[in-house]
Amino acid sequence: MASSYAPPFEGTGEVKEGFLCPLCLKDLQSFYQLQGHYEEEHSGDDRHVRGQLKNLVQKAKKAKDKLLKRDGDDRPDTGSYESFYYGGVDPYMWEPQELGATRSHLDLFKKHRAARIDHYVIEVNKLIIRLEKLTAFDRANADAAKIRAIEKSVVSWVSDSDVPFCPDCGNKFNIRNRRHHCRLCGSIMCRRCMEFVPLPLAQKLINGTREALCVPGSPSQSQSPPAGGGGSGMGSRRGSITSLSSVASILEEKDDEKIRCCHHCMDTLLKRQQKLEEKDHVPDIVKLYERLRMCMEKVEEKAPEYIRMAESLNAGETTYNLDTAGGLRLEVQKYYELIDALSKKILTLGTKSEPQPHPKALQLQRMIRYTATLFVQEKLLGLMSLPTKDKYEELKEKRKQDQERRLQQERQAAQESLKRRQEYEKNRPPANGELPQASRATHMTKAGGWLPSADSAHARSELEDPLLQQIENIQSFLRQAREAQRTDEVAMLEENLRQLQDEYDQQQTSMAIALSQKLAQEESLQQGELQRLEEREREGREQWGSTFVSTQPSFTWEPSLDINPAGDHQVESGVETTAEIPTLKTEASPSAVRALSSLTPLEDSPPRLRSLGGHITPPSGEGQSSTSLNPFEEEDSTPIEEDPSNPFFEDIKKEVSNGKKEYNPFEEDTDREDQQAETTPSNPFGEDDADTGNPFMDASGNSPEASTNPFDGDVDDEALPDVDMIEEELLLQQIDNIRAYIFDAKLSGRLDEVELLSENLKELQHTLQEQKKKRH
Amino acid sequence: MNVTLAVKQYISKMIENSGPGMKVLLMDKETTSIVSVVYTQSEILQKEVYLFERIDSQSRDSMKHLKAICFLRPTKENVQHLIQELRRPKYSVYFIYFSNVISKSEIKALAEADEQEVVAEVQEFYGDFIAVNPHVFSLNLQGVSRGRTWEPSMLSRCTQGLTSVLLALKKCPMIRYQLSSDMAKRLAESVKQIITKEYELFDFRKTEVPPLLLILDRSDDAITPLLNQWTYQAMVHELLGLNNNRIDLSRVPGISKDLREVVLSAENDEFYANNLYMNFGEIGTNIKNLMEDFQKKKPKGQQKLESISDMKAFVDNYPQFKKMSGTVSKHVTVVGELSRLVSERQLMEVSEVEQELACQNDHSNAQQNVRRLLQNPRVSELDAVRLVMLYALRYERHSSSILPSLMEELSRKGVSERYRRMVQSVVEYGGKRIRGSDLITPTDAVAITKQFFKGLKGVENVYTQHQPLLHDTLDQLIKGRLKDSQFPYLGASSLRDRPQDIMVFLIGGATYEEALTVYNLNRNTPGVRIVLGGSAIHNTKSFLEEVMLATGHSGDRAQGSGRHSTRR
Repeated sequence: MASSYAPPFEGTGEVKEGFLCPLCLKDLQSFYQLQGHYEEEHSGDDRHVRGQLKNLVQKAKKAKDKLLKRDGDDRPDTGSYESFYYGGVDPYMWEPQELGATRSHLDLFKKHRAARIDHYVIEVNKLIIRLEKLTAFDRANADAAKIRAIEKSVVSWVSDSDVPFCPDCGNKFNIRNRRHHCRLCGSIMCRRCMEFVPLPLAQKLINGTREALCVPGSPSQSQSPPAGGGGSGMGSRRGSITSLSSVASILEEKDDEKIRCCHHCMDTLLKRQQKLEEKDHVPDIVKLYERLRMCMEKVEEKAPEYIRMAESLNAGETTYNLDTAGGLRLEVQKYYELIDALSKKILTLGTKSEPQPHPKALQLQRMIRYTATLFVQEKLLGLMSLPTKDKYEELKEKRKQDQERRLQQERQAAQESLKRRQEYEKNRPPANGELPQASRATHMTKAGGWLPSADSAHARSELEDPLLQQIENIQSFLRQAREAQRTDEVAMLEENLRQLQDEYDQQQTSMAIALSQKLAQEESLQQGELQRLEEREREGREQWGSTFVSTQPSFTWEPSLDINPAGDHQVESGVETTAEIPTLKTEASPSAVRALSSLTPLEDSPPRLRSLGGHITPPSGEGQSSTSLNPFEEEDSTPIEEDPSNPFFEDIKKEVSNGKKEYNPFEEDTDREDQQAETTPSNPFGEDDADTGNPFMDASGNSPEASTNPFDGDVDDEALPDVDMIEEELLLQQIDNIRAYIFDAKLSGRLDEVELLSENLKELQHTLQEQKKKRH
Repeated sequence: MNVTLAVKQYISKMIENSGPGMKVLLMDKETTSIVSVVYTQSEILQKEVYLFERIDSQSRDSMKHLKAICFLRPTKENVQHLIQELRRPKYSVYFIYFSNVISKSEIKALAEADEQEVVAEVQEFYGDFIAVNPHVFSLNLQGVSRGRTWEPSMLSRCTQGLTSVLLALKKCPMIRYQLSSDMAKRLAESVKQIITKEYELFDFRKTEVPPLLLILDRSDDAITPLLNQWTYQAMVHELLGLNNNRIDLSRVPGISKDLREVVLSAENDEFYANNLYMNFGEIGTNIKNLMEDFQKKKPKGQQKLESISDMKAFVDNYPQFKKMSGTVSKHVTVVGELSRLVSERQLMEVSEVEQELACQNDHSNAQQNVRRLLQNPRVSELDAVRLVMLYALRYERHSSSILPSLMEELSRKGVSERYRRMVQSVVEYGGKRIRGSDLITPTDAVAITKQFFKGLKGVENVYTQHQPLLHDTLDQLIKGRLKDSQFPYLGASSLRDRPQDIMVFLIGGATYEEALTVYNLNRNTPGVRIVLGGSAIHNTKSFLEEVMLATGHSGDRAQGSGRHSTRR
């Protein structure tokens, strides 16, 4: 496709490449410039230049898809082009722009930090080693003096005389305010500034550090060989220390369960502890969040695949299997549910626990939930549904027929051109029969004695389709006319024949669902085609000489034709009558005939159409009832439809109220809105909703078919007349839809709707169950 | 040359650098504005950034499962806050980005605070300006001058802002400045100094024609910010006030709760993007179309959704529809309010006279019109004052000036003392004594004939006939005709060719009318790309504040100066 836009390789001599303007072939450097050039130069020439460009883009895309063997994936790629205009900004501004300048200070930062960290790590490790020494013996059973001796041996204590004031709070030391030594660094502080390391904490710190040492590459430990050495040496020493016995001391309070330290050391230790704790601890929210993200990724991955499938299936293509797509849909939907559930769990995390989480934590949870709902909203509601099995069959047929028709049209066109050529040769060029209108006029004047008559020999009463019969008839007329050398009639009849055949094709499409019938018809069509060919061949040999008897039956079955293309019928009937009239009024003047012929179709068609209005033609009627006129659908869609429409009513009302306040240029709008607002309350669904609370039941009550339901008395079943008719897929889809609405309603906090909808959902599910039961 | 995109790219790069996982964005007051102008919440939520925190906020809790992205201006306070933060980290990892150049000593201080090794990244990302439109940036600074000189803190902030724009766009420009303004010269020198000092940073790939930075002074054109506007964006700013693309609608009578504050961002609002530069009449039509479109898309509320295919179509369109209903109600409200104000304040009549004052030279007619409107009771105080100001600026030296009697008229009308004093201040700020170029009466032959022809042709739209002075300046610059004597180059070298990439900065603030002018110049002159910046984006009110601060008559209402004094 794109190749058609490429410049011709031969002839021009030079081959131009790159961003050429399709109109003036000016070479432009970039896409943006081309675009700009377009707007500058050609916006006057062609108002749809943008559209052309767009086509170009899309064509190129399609070509690319083709190359990548992704046939059948030619959904319109809207948005890709618009994105260039995104924000309504001048395209000149939107040249590809690289990231602005940056400068990293990380190296410098790390250099300074490393120096600092070394210091810090050494300090921490020193403290840990000392702590281990202090806790390595049996403190409970050692006497105070001994403990003190050991403690003093770990770190040299600052001498009391050097420190007259507490370095932390500045109070003077005296008998009352005694000096205390930090067992970890040996410094002095007062009682109030003193802190204690409980033994369990100490143990934890030591163990944690030792574990960390085993893990290679742990950041804080990587540059701390002294700690490693000290740590390993510890174990051997422990035995000797623990063997020491103890005697209680009365001089000092005994630190059985804790170790005195200064607040600086305590600080360092606490930081260390926190770090250790965080290392192993994964909060719930993180676990949930990770699962949430995983689901989102899965959706990102599967959803496009599904949409591709659904689009293909909805177009009636056979590239994908309906069941696989259904499975995929279910899978994607499950992920959505999971996302919903997970995000809800995150939202409520910790809200029931006693110390309420920090407001920021709650905010975080809310935001995650909000994002998840946005995500689902955007993706789920854009997820198109699949056709039902029947519908799919129909779609497939339709597509097939489209293709067939195209093929047939081509064939026909070929035939016709062949035919025309033959006629041309036969009837000599000056024949004026090509223009149907002129020919009609001449025919009328010449009508004189010639009458086509239905070929009784070929009257195919066995053909069910009236159209086919009509075609047959016309074909016979055609033959007769040809034999009578009536070129005008021939042309006209050919025109009619073509119209009839088109008509027939259309009817065929509409009858797609009646499979068996359709097949027969197809066959007969082919037969007809063959017949036609045969007949044309026989043309020369055969004689004509029949009478006008069988046009009458052709008229009687006319009403059973499809209603839709009324125009065609008029032409048809016109033809018939024109064919008819000459017989009845052979003596009539040409002008009268003409007047009649133009009148009759007008007079004739309305009553016919009216009579047709009452009943539906059997073949197409069947197809319709099984597809779109399913009574359940109507019933079912009622409750669903009204709920989502509620917010809009609100919106509109809001707008109306806004609109009323603006008097200036929008009076028209306001009027219209007012009208809407007026109609809103009269909306039957709104009333239903208000009255019964469950419009679903209400609707079923009104249903005339409710009484024919075999399951009288059962409310649920009553609500669903013609249960057997309901396709399971339809139900499933409906359930999906309702779920989507529930979801949305929940989001916007319309709780009453949620209730209502979930009730409906329940009912639907129940029906589904019922139906399954019945089937088995 | 797209400042919005530049900031967006910086931010998305920051987020990208931090990898997957829950994130918090730590900002200061100014970077919050910088980010919020280019990104919507939902957009940034999709990038897993769930919390937005101020670095100086005390209420933050320790959340070790979050990664922190810090986007901060390199101020002393911020560095101090960050040091505190790193000493007791609340988050697991820190990715630190400064919006401008930071000193080595501060890096060292930060590094020494990071004892727990929580910092994973330290970079400078030069997004130190507010990207209002793709071609317009602002620094949101009020009161940059004291008399005719810089307020010192403002000079450094402007220099930082301007250099960060240059770095974000990767331009190392030649600099021209307005000779008549000492402030322009000071700023030009200051920017040049930074470029010289940080020559490594400004070492970009050389383009054929070097980019140009033109520094102008607002006082050269005090008329433009005094005019009523009729294009959407400018009008919204003039009548409702746009602050970081947000409008406060809480004063609108009968406003619904969720429309109290609305965001107008061309990035996310297609209607706004397409109508930004449309005039009021066109917007009326377009919003009607929008409504009709909306009604068409609305799934025929009253009709039944008969079949599955209807339902399907409905579901398919639903999100889009929801989005659209938001857009519709927002714009209907905004435009409705605008039109209410227009009729209430008789802005059509006022604007016509304003335009006449600004563009025509017919003293007797002008004085009659101004007088007539001053007597109209429906003309608001502000509009009355601005008419007198325009008259005062326009006919400052006219032999038969009726300014004194107009002032009397004002006080008779009951216009406050404060406003009346402003008339004098405006003349002091932007009067003939100050102006370097010919704002009002063109002197050279070309300009005179031009105006003559303009007069012959008549004007298409009386409300939009005014062209800001900036248009002429840039037009001459593009054509290579801007006089070196009025706009000298800084340094010895000068540009031979016509400039292609132009950054123009207005000390004392730009206006949306000028933004429109630059937009049109960008569209109509292929190959030329212009970015407009200002110390602020003014409407009449904020411009008058600026004038009062500059002329030192701010008196009791010194909103801006309070903020600045803390900086000093």
